[in-house]
Amino acid sequence: MSANSIGWSTAWRLARRGLDWRFRGLRLLLVCLVLGTAALAAIGTLTGAIERELTSRGRILLGGDLQFTLAQRAASDAEMAAMRALGTVSAGTRLQAMARPAQGDDVAVPVELKAVDTRWPLYGALTLEGGRESDGRRAGAPTGMTAWIAPGVADRLDVTTGGKLRIGDALLTIGGVIADEPDRLSEGFSLGPTVIVSPEALAASGLVQPGSMIRTKYRIRLPTGSAAADPQALADAFTARFPVAGFEARTRDKASPGLDRFVGRMGQFLVLVALAALSIAGIGIGNGVSSYLEARRGSIATLKILGAESGDIARIYLLQMAVASAIAIAAGLLIGVATTPLLSRALSGLLPVEAGVVIDAKALLLAAAYGALIALTFAAPPLIRARDFPAMALMRARVSPLRTRWRAAIRSMGLPVGLGLAGIAALAIATAPQKELAAGFLGGAAALFGLLAALGLGLARLAARLPRPHGAIARMALANLHRPGAQTGALVVALGFGLSAFVLLAAVETSLDANIARRVPDRAPDYFVLDVPRDGVARFETVVERAAPGATIRTVPALRGTIVAYGPQDRMVRVADLKELPENAWALRGDRGLTYAETVPEGNTLTAGKWWPKDYAGEPLVSVDADLGKALNLKLGDRITVGLLGVERTATIASFRQIDWENMGFNYVLVFSPNAIADAPHNLAATIELPRAAKTPGVRRAILSGLVRALPSSSVVEIGPVLNQARDILSQMGTAILAAASVAILAGMAVLAGAIAAARERRQYDNVILRVLGASRRQLLTLILAEYALLCAVLAAIALVLGCGAGWLVIVRLFDFAWMPGWTRILAVLGAGVTLVLLLALAGSLGLLRTRPAQALREL
Amino acid sequence: MTSTSPIISARNLTLHLGSGEGRVDILRGIDLAVDAGETLALLGPSGSGKSSLLAVLAGLERASGGALEVAGADFTALDEDGLAAARRGRIGIVLQAFHLLPTMTALENVETPMELAGMAGAEARAQAELAAVGLGHRLNHYPAQLSGGEQQRVAIARALAPRPAILFADEPTGNLDAATGAAVADLLFQRAREAGATLIMVTHDEALAARCGRVVRLADGEIVSDSIR
Repeated sequence: MSANSIGWSTAWRLARRGLDWRFRGLRLLLVCLVLGTAALAAIGTLTGAIERELTSRGRILLGGDLQFTLAQRAASDAEMAAMRALGTVSAGTRLQAMARPAQGDDVAVPVELKAVDTRWPLYGALTLEGGRESDGRRAGAPTGMTAWIAPGVADRLDVTTGGKLRIGDALLTIGGVIADEPDRLSEGFSLGPTVIVSPEALAASGLVQPGSMIRTKYRIRLPTGSAAADPQALADAFTARFPVAGFEARTRDKASPGLDRFVGRMGQFLVLVALAALSIAGIGIGNGVSSYLEARRGSIATLKILGAESGDIARIYLLQMAVASAIAIAAGLLIGVATTPLLSRALSGLLPVEAGVVIDAKALLLAAAYGALIALTFAAPPLIRARDFPAMALMRARVSPLRTRWRAAIRSMGLPVGLGLAGIAALAIATAPQKELAAGFLGGAAALFGLLAALGLGLARLAARLPRPHGAIARMALANLHRPGAQTGALVVALGFGLSAFVLLAAVETSLDANIARRVPDRAPDYFVLDVPRDGVARFETVVERAAPGATIRTVPALRGTIVAYGPQDRMVRVADLKELPENAWALRGDRGLTYAETVPEGNTLTAGKWWPKDYAGEPLVSVDADLGKALNLKLGDRITVGLLGVERTATIASFRQIDWENMGFNYVLVFSPNAIADAPHNLAATIELPRAAKTPGVRRAILSGLVRALPSSSVVEIGPVLNQARDILSQMGTAILAAASVAILAGMAVLAGAIAAARERRQYDNVILRVLGASRRQLLTLILAEYALLCAVLAAIALVLGCGAGWLVIVRLFDFAWMPGWTRILAVLGAGVTLVLLLALAGSLGLLRTRPAQALREL
Repeated sequence: MTSTSPIISARNLTLHLGSGEGRVDILRGIDLAVDAGETLALLGPSGSGKSSLLAVLAGLERASGGALEVAGADFTALDEDGLAAARRGRIGIVLQAFHLLPTMTALENVETPMELAGMAGAEARAQAELAAVGLGHRLNHYPAQLSGGEQQRVAIARALAPRPAILFADEPTGNLDAATGAAVADLLFQRAREAGATLIMVTHDEALAARCGRVVRLADGEIVSDSIR
C-alpha cells in the first residue's frame, strides 16, 4: 500500500456504497460459487461420513478384527491352534442349500446356509424381528436345531416363528425372523435369503461332504490389550506360516473389499466431479467479475478522476467481491449440508451409511477454502485489468475497448494468479486420497482451458483473415468474431466447456445403459445347480428331463482353489510375495473356481497352443484365459501352481483361450487336463436352461421339488432374482454417477448463460446504434443467430471429441466398464445443447429488440 | 508556491495516441502558464484538442512530451497513481456527462473525493456544499432520481467540496438546456470565486467563454490565440 493510498476502512465505506445488495451484475459469480461450494461441501460431507462409518463399523461388518476363509474344507488342527493363539475364534460355514417345508416337497427355496458357533457374533448383535428370540432370551447364535431365517424364506415357504422347515436331512425349528444380520455386508453377493443354524444342525443336514462347495470362515477377536496390534501384520504372518493352505485373509480395516473398491472409485469420481465443477465455476467467476467491472467502468473512471489510485480501486472492488463471495460460499455450504441426505439416498443400497444432515467441520472448511481461493484467483485478472487502466482510457473504452498487452498482463497478473492456482492445486492434491488422479485431472483441465483459449484466439484471427462475405448480416456476424472487444475468447471457453459437459453426460449415460444391458444378459441359464454328486448325474438329468422336456443341461466338474505361483519353471513368482497385484490380474485375488475338461469348453476359442488329446496321461497341463495370460505375461510352457484343498498342484500351460464372459454359463479362468486334478474330491456343477414354453411356475416348482427329493445335498441357484439384483445395483450406480455429474453440468449451464449475457451486454451499444441506423428486429435476430451458429458449428465438433474423451475416462478408466456410447443420443443431446445456446442468445436479446432506439440511447 | 509563480506551467506539451501509421497527434507543442485565481476558457472547434489539453492539465492523461507543473507538482514525472494522489484535494473536475457514481446518493458522491484524500469532516462539508448549490433537500437522492441540472450541481459540489486550488470543467453545460445551463454556469463561476479556485473551462459556447478573464483558442492541437480581457 503506497503512502497516498486510502486505508481499508475508507475502501470498505466506498465498497459498501457501490455494492448493490440485490447483487445485480454479480449473480453469475454467485451462482457459480454457490454451485461449486455446494458440490464440494456435499461430496466432502458424504465421503467423510462413509469413511467414518467404514472405519468405526469395520469390525462389526467383518464380525471380527481378522477373518480367514477357506474353500471346500475346514481348518486343520494346526491351523486352528495358530488362530486360537491370536485371540478368540468364531468358526462358521457358508454354503448354498435348499430349504423346504417340514411336510411335503412341493416347494423348495434356494438359500444361503450359514452355520455359526456359539461365539458368533464376536462384534455387533443379531436382531430378530420383534427384537427378541422366541423364548424371550436375547438372540445370538442359534443352538441345537433352531434356525434364524431371513424374511425371504419365511415369505416363500409361508412359515413363521415356531414353525418347522427342512434343509437336507435336518428338520429345523424356526426361532425367529432376521431383522438385522451384523456381518451381512462383508458376506458379499448373496445368491439367496439367509438361514442361520448351529454347527450341529449343519452336520445333521448331511450337506457337507468331501468336495462340497462350502466356505469356512474363521473370525478372530484380538485380545483387548493388543487392540493396537496391526491386524494386517498378524494376517500376513499367519498366511506366510501356511502358504499352501489357501487362506484368504481380511482385516477390520477392509471389512468388505468389494465395497471398499466401490467406495474408492465413487470417491475418486466425486472428487473429479467437484474439481470439474470448480474449474467450470472458476471460468464463470472470471466472466462474472469481468462483466461486473465492465458495467462499472464509468464508476471506476470517476473514482480515478476523484483521486483514487489503482491500488484503491483494487481494494474497493476486491472488498465487494469478497462480500459477494462470502455470501455465496455461506449459501453453498448450507445447500451442500442440506443436499447430503439426498445424495446419500441416491446411493443407498450401495453404501453402508444413511447420512442425514451432518455438519462436518473439516469438509465445510475445505469447501469454503476452495471457494475463497477460486473466487480470488479467477477474479484477480479482471480486477487487475481494471486497476491498471488510466481514467481517460476507461472513459473512452465504450468505443475504444480496453486492450491488454500480454507482456504487461503477465507481469502484473502472473504472481497473484499463479499463487492462487498453485494454492488450489496444492489444496486439491494434498487433500485428495488419490493424489495422482487429482493432479492429472487438474493438469487436464488446465490443458483444456488453454486449448479452448488458444482456439478462441485462433478463431478470431481466422475470422479476420477470411474474405468478407457479400451479405451484410453474414459480414457483420463474421466481423463480430474478430472486431476489437469481441467476446470470442470467453464465449469459446464457456461454450466449449458447456457443450463438452452435455456430451459427457450423454456419453456416460448411454454407456452405462449399454453396460447394464450387456452385463445382465437377456438370455442366461435359468438355474445353476451346485454340488451334484458325480454318481448322481443320471438322476439329475432324469429329474430335469421329466419336469421340463427339452431343457438344456450342462455339467462340469467344480473345484475351488487359489493361484499360488506362476511363471517360467525356474523363476516362478509367488503370489504371496507380490506387493500389489498386476493390473487386470483379478484372478489372483482369493479362491477361484477350477475345472478340468477333455475338450475345449463351449463358448471358448483357443488363441495359442494345443488342447490335450482324449485320455491324456502325460504331465499335468492347464489352459489359461488369454487376458489373464497377458496380465501376468505368461507364455506357453510356463507353470501355474494352485492350492487345492491344502495341497499345491503344478501344471504346465498348454494353451490360452478367449472366453466369452457374456454367455453367463460356466467360464473358468483355469481349465486343467483331467489327470491334473480329477483325483481331488469334488462334485459337479450344472446349468439348466428351460425351453421358452417351460418357463412356468409349475415347471419351476417341479424342478426344485424334484431335485430336492432326488439329490438332497445339491443346491439350486435361481438366476432370475440374481440378475434383477445385479441390474438394480448397476442402475443405482448409474443414477448416482449421473446425479453427481449433473452438478458439473449445472455449473456449465450457468457459465454458458453468464457468458452469453456478458457478450450481450457488450453488444448492446452496437445493437442500439444498428437500430438507430435502421436495422429491423429480424435483421438483428438473424445477426445474433448467425454469429452463435458459426461459433456452435466449430465448438460442437470440438465438444464431441472432448466430451467423449472425458466420458471414456470416467467409464473405462475409473469404473472399469466397457465404452459403449449411444451416438444417436449423444448427437441429439449435443443438438439440444446447441439449441439451448441459440435460445439463450435470442432470449437475452428480446428485451433490447422491444426497446425503442431513442429510449435505449438515453440509457446507454 | 509563491504569488508570482503560475499555478499551471506547461512547456512544449505534446500528446499523441497510437503509433506507426496509426499515430494521431492531438497536442503539438503547447506552451501555457495560468496564474492562481484566473478564469480561463479553452475554445476551439471539435477535434482541436481542447478536451485533451484539459485532460492532460488535470492529470487524467499523461502527456507524450514536454514539461508540465501543476500546483507545484511535476506532472510529467508522475505515474498514474502519482497523478491520482496529486489530484486529491488540489484539483476538482466537472464533466459534461456529470459522471456521478450511480450507486451512491448525492451526499455520498460529494463525500467521496474528501474521503479519498483522507480529509476529516467529509460529511459535514458535503452537506454544506450541497446546500450551497441549492440541493440541501436532495442529500439522499440517487443520481437517477435527479434531473440533469441537479446532477450537474452535485458534480460541482463534489468538485469544490475538497477546496481545490484548480477547478477544471469540460463542457459543463453541454448536456443541459439553455435555462438550466445558464443557471449551472452562474453557480460554477460563483462557487469557484467563493472558493478562490482557478477555473479552467472547455467550451464551444462563445458567450460562456466571454465570462472568463482569459480565452485560449486551439486549432489542430495548437494554441492559435491567447487573449486576456
